[in-house]
Amino acid sequence: MNNVVIAGYCRSPFTPALKGALARVRPDDLAAQVIKGLVSKAGVNPDDIEDLILGCAFPEGEQGLNVARLIVFLAGLPNTIAGMTLNRFCGSSMQAIHIAAGAIQMNAGEVFICAGLESMSRIPMGGYNNMPNPALYETFPQAYIGMGDTAENLAAKYQIDRKTQEAFALESQMKAYAAQQSGRFDDEIIPITSKYGTVDKDGCLRPDSTAEGLASLSPAFQTTGTVTAGTSSPLTDGAAAVLVCSEDYADAHKLPKLARILSFAVSGCAPEIMGIGPVAATNKALSRAGLKLEDIDIVELNEAFSAQSLAVLKELPIPADKLNLDGGAIALGHPLGTTGARITGKAASLLQRENKRYALATQCIGGGQGIATILEAI
Amino acid sequence: MNIQKVGVIGAGVMGASIAAHITNAGIPVYLLDIVPESASNRNGVAENAVKKLLEAEPAAFMDKKNVRLITTGNIEDDLPKLADADWVIEAIIENPQIKQSLYQKLEAVCKADCLISSNTSTLPLALLVKDMPDSFKRRFMITHFFNPPRYMRLLELVSSAATDLTFVKAVSQFADIKLGKNCVTCKDTPGFIGNRIGIYWLLYGLLDAIKNGITIEQADAVISAPFGIPKTGIFGLLDLVGLDLIPPILKGMKLALPSQDAFHEVNRLPDIVQKMINEGYTGRKGKGGFYRLNKVDGVRIKESINLVTGDYATSEKADLSAIKDAQKAGLQVLLSHPEPVAQYAWRVLSNTLCYSASLVPEISDDITEIDAAMRDGYNWKFGPFELLDKIGVSWFVDKLKSENRPIPTLLATNSSLYSTDSGRLAFADLSGNYHPVQRAEGVLLLSDIKQQTKPLLKNGSASLWDIGDSVACLEFHSKMNTLDMDSMAMINQSIDKVSREFKALVIHNDAENFSAGANLGLLMKAIHESDWPTVELLIKTGQQTYQRLKYAPFPVVAAPSGLALGGGCEILFHCNAVQAHAELYMGLVEVGVGLIPGWGGCKEYLRRCLMQPKRPGGPIPPIIKAFQTIGLASVSKSAFDAKELLYLSTNDSITMNKDRLLADAKTKALALSKDYAPPKPYLYPIPGKTAKVLLNMGIKAFHLIGKATDYDVIVSGQLAHVLSGGESDFTAPLSEDNILALELEAFLALVKRPGTLARLDHMLKTGKPLRN
Repeated sequence: MNNVVIAGYCRSPFTPALKGALARVRPDDLAAQVIKGLVSKAGVNPDDIEDLILGCAFPEGEQGLNVARLIVFLAGLPNTIAGMTLNRFCGSSMQAIHIAAGAIQMNAGEVFICAGLESMSRIPMGGYNNMPNPALYETFPQAYIGMGDTAENLAAKYQIDRKTQEAFALESQMKAYAAQQSGRFDDEIIPITSKYGTVDKDGCLRPDSTAEGLASLSPAFQTTGTVTAGTSSPLTDGAAAVLVCSEDYADAHKLPKLARILSFAVSGCAPEIMGIGPVAATNKALSRAGLKLEDIDIVELNEAFSAQSLAVLKELPIPADKLNLDGGAIALGHPLGTTGARITGKAASLLQRENKRYALATQCIGGGQGIATILEAI
Repeated sequence: MNIQKVGVIGAGVMGASIAAHITNAGIPVYLLDIVPESASNRNGVAENAVKKLLEAEPAAFMDKKNVRLITTGNIEDDLPKLADADWVIEAIIENPQIKQSLYQKLEAVCKADCLISSNTSTLPLALLVKDMPDSFKRRFMITHFFNPPRYMRLLELVSSAATDLTFVKAVSQFADIKLGKNCVTCKDTPGFIGNRIGIYWLLYGLLDAIKNGITIEQADAVISAPFGIPKTGIFGLLDLVGLDLIPPILKGMKLALPSQDAFHEVNRLPDIVQKMINEGYTGRKGKGGFYRLNKVDGVRIKESINLVTGDYATSEKADLSAIKDAQKAGLQVLLSHPEPVAQYAWRVLSNTLCYSASLVPEISDDITEIDAAMRDGYNWKFGPFELLDKIGVSWFVDKLKSENRPIPTLLATNSSLYSTDSGRLAFADLSGNYHPVQRAEGVLLLSDIKQQTKPLLKNGSASLWDIGDSVACLEFHSKMNTLDMDSMAMINQSIDKVSREFKALVIHNDAENFSAGANLGLLMKAIHESDWPTVELLIKTGQQTYQRLKYAPFPVVAAPSGLALGGGCEILFHCNAVQAHAELYMGLVEVGVGLIPGWGGCKEYLRRCLMQPKRPGGPIPPIIKAFQTIGLASVSKSAFDAKELLYLSTNDSITMNKDRLLADAKTKALALSKDYAPPKPYLYPIPGKTAKVLLNMGIKAFHLIGKATDYDVIVSGQLAHVLSGGESDFTAPLSEDNILALELEAFLALVKRPGTLARLDHMLKTGKPLRN
């Protein structure tokens, strides 16, 4: 069977929705620049690319009409590259990597671009035409539960108090700021140019965060709740892309091999505690890779919310020194469909930087799902 | 001369606010100020002023986008930019030398046909142009705005014999039509008209209260509503203006006025006011003034100063029950009441009115100009001479005589100052002769028509008038112009009559507010009696009447100004066009009283949201837009804002000057009457229950975070039901009647709930919405 490797990763800067520097940039233009940057940086021959698989949580408006195919044109890539837009909400672009890996193992292509995009400025969360099924809402309203409420449910279920959530958020902010200051994001960021100028730096970080400041925020979702804007990932604009190919192709074309994909999994859980999704997905993926959690050296766990991440950590006791080394979504931002590609690409590049063997990238998904990928350094 | 670009020099409160109001007319403005010493940003003063304008309360801009029309700069670098300005307004420090130095620079950079004016409130024109060349004198005048310039209609104009009349005419027309101002021509006398009388009145009220032990609450309670004066009265207005502005005005008046002028009798600054200024109690802009808001244990408490001790204590509402009784019996009874506060009112009013009368012809030959100045510059409902007529000139003169006080020449004939004997409004001159009040071309006032003719139809709530050229005008005249069954009957009768005898109908009244909505008192009575058939009849009658209006065989143009809320907003939605006064505050505010718009407001607003060409695609965005606007009881902050909110359509027009509103509406109605065809009924492609579920999910989230109360959830749920189309599906569009039926169903469901009753009760008692 063909081994599948990650041979490149990059992303746009992540900036706050509506008020950030990318708010006025169309998401298709944003993703096109990131993908063009990836192709150029990885040194892959565009003619060899089979498909652009692109994840997006709200594929409508400027993200609609199978935007993946349109991005092939926008990025100036050969029109022999196909394009597919997929939606597994926040797990969309990690799913893109899984589809590519499956195709490569089936000899259905050698090189794929797996990307994610989301402009939460330009396409509101929920989309423009959210039309819930009245019968389902009546009998199973949690199918449509708001994400903040799921975080509150986990905080209650796992008895995670507000102070602990804030300490986790502050740690994420500090790690991300330290990484930014020491230039550890520079390699992964593709500067985005538009008529409004060039953006080359993440904009969501709040390095001025303090425990006192976080403690002073009002609850964001429930008056009696513990989850605040400070312990939630911010609404974000951003795109990310990963080059996925067969190990043979990488060797033949001397592409950098960041990591081999060992296993992956998705799973479902109760929608009202969707944030716990990574637990089952991770356990499945570990089992498929024949590994134990203790074997994992590097973990990228998406921080949708502090409470959600902390609940996962109660079930998956991951040591702090392995977790989200350069900070997570609470600090960097979470452009829904983009995040899977970011954390998988990031985990692969961290294996190289930290000189470690195994990495896990995992995230929760609205509606009650989890997704996980296990990587091995080569 | 056409004014297409304006420069304002001086970005203080007045200069900046004038600039903002000029942008409200769609005219670009340069706003320049000095370069402060060692400033890093040379345009900083003007730029900061613009930032403050955006946050000003009440809003300086009618549409915040107008800010883009202001170009900021400084007078050291940017004066040459004024070369293309048609009008430059100087609004800098009240120092003649500094002003003249600026004028010399302006003379060098401004084009020959650029008008230059000063916004001075105290300096005479003669002093400002002294030693200036003739080329400057011919283009210079005083244009004195009142604060805040967007809202105060008065513009005092002072020109000299040397001023070229072309400039005076151009600026008068521009200010009238584009800025909505009532231009009053003043003579070059100190304080012109408004402040000469207004400051005298304020000082008299202040000094007399101190002298005679009247509390500030008592003073403000009596020198206000009973005389049609704003509720700020004397002391509230002084706080609003700023106490620190008084000393320089007094100084200026002392120097400028002839020694025998009665103003000198009040030209004193009481010790307590000097002390307040010294300690920073300069009014609302300072730490407080005669009134202040003090935070005690986190609660803001209104306090007022004791004029004797200078100490603050919790403000107590003045008990003026005796005065109120007297007021019901008329102003004469009030002014001769033995209570000390009534005697205070007599002294303040009689002296102010005598002083005003004594200033004819010194400040103006025409009493209508003086009345207009006090109405539009101080927001008095009646000018001093209109007030004298209201009190009764003969009674007033007799009372002066009984007190051995001199009688001003104007009052010597002992006859009223205005007359309608000839069928037209006429005003008296010093000899007691009457002259017709002249209206400018394009000004049509319903009040004039009402003096000249009798109504075609009339009942307790509304009347129909013939306003000429085969156009009729429907006027509401109930309290606050609330709408009841009489109003509906009059609309129906008017439709019948206009169909037969007229080309078009205009709906207009010249009250401060177009309509505050449905008469809640009637509704409350029916609810208290559980008289649901009456409630149903009220709603159905309103729906049917408004539908008749919409589909009448003639055009209906509404000409609203001020508030148009609830049912008053809904009637505008059913007119074929609206000619709105720029100061229009319209909105569907029914949720505030636990109801939903039931007279077709949901139907018409939803249609506007669905038909908006720039809206995002799909069936949901227009429903969300309608839900948010109605659910938040959004009220427009101007007619321009009403367009943004989709309350007004792109075909509706805006008139800046309220006096021109009726004439503009009539013109519009006549234009529409040519080949008129009623609108075609609209079909609503709305998705039904799925949208309701979505909206309910949103309400639930707001409730969880405390942004929606328990009862908001109930009311919003009914609103969601109506706007989503009930059980409909977007493949089978609903008719207007279907939406009206949903409105009725939701309305009847809500009126039966105690939560709605509690909201209605609270609104009627306090005038504020209950958050239950």
